Amino acid sequence: MARTADPTTHRLPLTSLLHEPLISITLDKGQQVYQPGQTVRGEYQIDAVEPADIRAVELSVLWYTEGKGEEDFAVHYFERLTAGDMLATGLHELRRFQTELPNSPLSYEGVVVKIRWCVRVRVFLNNGKDGVAERAFQLGEVPYAQAVLP
Amino acid sequence: MKVTAVQPPAIRGGFCPPQNPFATRFVRPGAMPFLFSPPIDREALVAKLAELQWRGAIVGPHGSGKSTLLAELLPELNRVGRRVVQFTLHDGERRLPIALSDRALSDAQTIIVVDGYEQLNAASRRTLDRHCRRYATGLLVTSHEPTHLAQLYQTAVDCELMETIVDLLTRGDRRFVSATDVERAYCLHGQNAREALFSLYDLHERRWRELHERL
Amino acid sequence: MARSFRMYGKKRGHRRTGSSALGSLGEAAVFAFFLALGTVFLVLLLKMPVLPEWRANHEFVETTGAVLGKRVMPSLDGTSYRAEVLVRYTVGDRQYDRWTYDVTFNSPWAYSSNHDLRQDEVDRFQEARPCPVWYDPEDPATAVVVRGYSAWLWSLLLLPVSFIVIGGAGLVYAVLGWGKSPEHLAAVTQLGRRLELFEESTPLARDYPNVPRDANLTNSPGTRLKYRLPITTTQGWKLVAAALVALGWNAIAVFFLVKSLSTSGDSALRAFDWRLLLFTLPFLLIGLAMIYFLVRQFLIATGLGPTHLEISDHPLLPGRFYDLFVSQAGRLMMNFLEIDLVCEEQATYRQGTDTRTEQRRVYATRVFDRRKFDIPQGMPFEQQCRIEIPPGAMHSFQADHNEVQWKFVVRGEVTGWPKYERVFPIIVFPKPQAR
Repeated sequence: MARTADPTTHRLPLTSLLHEPLISITLDKGQQVYQPGQTVRGEYQIDAVEPADIRAVELSVLWYTEGKGEEDFAVHYFERLTAGDMLATGLHELRRFQTELPNSPLSYEGVVVKIRWCVRVRVFLNNGKDGVAERAFQLGEVPYAQAVLP
Repeated sequence: MKVTAVQPPAIRGGFCPPQNPFATRFVRPGAMPFLFSPPIDREALVAKLAELQWRGAIVGPHGSGKSTLLAELLPELNRVGRRVVQFTLHDGERRLPIALSDRALSDAQTIIVVDGYEQLNAASRRTLDRHCRRYATGLLVTSHEPTHLAQLYQTAVDCELMETIVDLLTRGDRRFVSATDVERAYCLHGQNAREALFSLYDLHERRWRELHERL
Repeated sequence: MARSFRMYGKKRGHRRTGSSALGSLGEAAVFAFFLALGTVFLVLLLKMPVLPEWRANHEFVETTGAVLGKRVMPSLDGTSYRAEVLVRYTVGDRQYDRWTYDVTFNSPWAYSSNHDLRQDEVDRFQEARPCPVWYDPEDPATAVVVRGYSAWLWSLLLLPVSFIVIGGAGLVYAVLGWGKSPEHLAAVTQLGRRLELFEESTPLARDYPNVPRDANLTNSPGTRLKYRLPITTTQGWKLVAAALVALGWNAIAVFFLVKSLSTSGDSALRAFDWRLLLFTLPFLLIGLAMIYFLVRQFLIATGLGPTHLEISDHPLLPGRFYDLFVSQAGRLMMNFLEIDLVCEEQATYRQGTDTRTEQRRVYATRVFDRRKFDIPQGMPFEQQCRIEIPPGAMHSFQADHNEVQWKFVVRGEVTGWPKYERVFPIIVFPKPQAR
């Protein structure tokens, strides 16, 4: 059964010849906009590597700023799985995560300051390399900002 | 680190604000590759530095890519076995923020990298120089003006390079920033590519908002 | 009631609990020091030669005496000289023989290193000839044979006077800004309200990460509405710096003035000192202008009086309405007074040797506007209005390099004075969610 490319999950056919981990992250029901206090739930999966090659896997739910200033960020939720944990449950299993989202800071599309929320999964390999994937989501519904001339 | 594509989520009923390719996280030294003009590449430059006994200076005006070049060379320096100790001097810092007596800075396998060498006062430069000669430690600096060290590379920006940089950052999506805009930014800011990219940031923000208002 | 005054701007923004820029004990102390220094110097100058000279010229009684001798007396270390004339004069039925010259005789001012000058002075007197003598009616033993005004000593007065003016004005400004808060706090005696204010700040900070704490903004109750908003301005350090520059400038100008005038007695050197005097004059005029403008700035602040803003609730939420109360004190004729509700983004970037901060205003609404009105003395202008935080407002955000700031910006212009601006930061919280 051939798998077709799924644009929402970054999943590619297993026959690809990349040597980097393929990470796919999905959010339940494909929900993109969350309200403060709601729980963000989802799952992730790691492909294209052998379990023996993995040193650790980290998942974070974080916000970061983007724009003209130096990046600020804060991790709201963090979990780390070691090689032992991975082997116990099997690599290609879908792993679930969930966390209650805070009241602030809300996602913001400003002019020189933007705030973005995402779920980030980072895979550390034994050979020193690592791979990262992100799934962005929106916290709150703040309309985008416009510059106002003084 | 390889980051797979991040899709900014929808705001306001399906509309997705485009990511600004000129935000600092994409433009700061280390985030962007340094664009060499062939045949020069980073291996060649590191080889040249080796010939210069690991002492050299990257010279160029404000915002012309010196720190970016430094970030490009560091992995290559590590690869050929040099240990790199880097200091970045900011506005007003006239002295090295470390004690040179540190053992880690005194062996022939180390290169001391100073970003912003022109900030150092004469006394600090002399001390640093004496130290490096004594322990055969390498010294690679960036500076706005020529120094007593041999020139490793001169960074310079021209309109064509700006266009290449913008193409790279926007990944070919030129809906909001055209070639004319880049040319104008270059004329306005000259060698200071950083300022030019900042002004293109503002332009990008203004343009997508204008587009969205019209729809 | 300690307040911290920042001479520099902090990236995280300014939070002040005072109602004016110079509300700090430290500044008051600096100005008090200058005031004291100036006063001490002034007193010393008045003691000698200013007051005695004035007395010699106005109150001393003239009589005729005889010159018995004259000499140029060197000082103890031999480096300077004093003119001395021995006169004999009669007051009533007593005869006095005194070595004297002018009123400064018994002070260090009588000495000069210019021997020839002193020689010329005593040569004007001839022995065994009569000469006018002026004696002090309150103490006839004190008499002078020369009287007049030494211009240069009087010009020295400029220095302590400028110190006093600047020190005094600064002190007045600092003190005026001081007294308000405690009065307001004293006016509110409800203990329950105090507890409410205290409890409010702590839980909120925990529940809303990266939203600035509002502790400073809610510790000052208002007289009409719930809270009085603190002001944030960084004008203070500019004024202090300007005052120091003006003082230093004047000190140097007066020094040169003194130098140029002190040798004006000697005809041979007159050509030189006029040139120096002309050279010094423009600097002196600039110095005086500096003092004038500084005093004007202080007068604006003190004559203007503080602007008070009070709000019916805090922190603020998007989509809600609030009452805003503005009061402007002073004896003023206003061209306009406007209040804007403003939201600004601020991003700080540091790479290589550059540090830069970019600001963008993303929301600005005029909530209050009044043109051409008078504020009489003692009756502050007061007005209440309704304001709305827009429903789509982004909450206040604070991180190390990026900020979203909400504030009220009050701008006013008094007829004849430059425009002034006062900024009152506020905090907008995210809309509370129905769970």
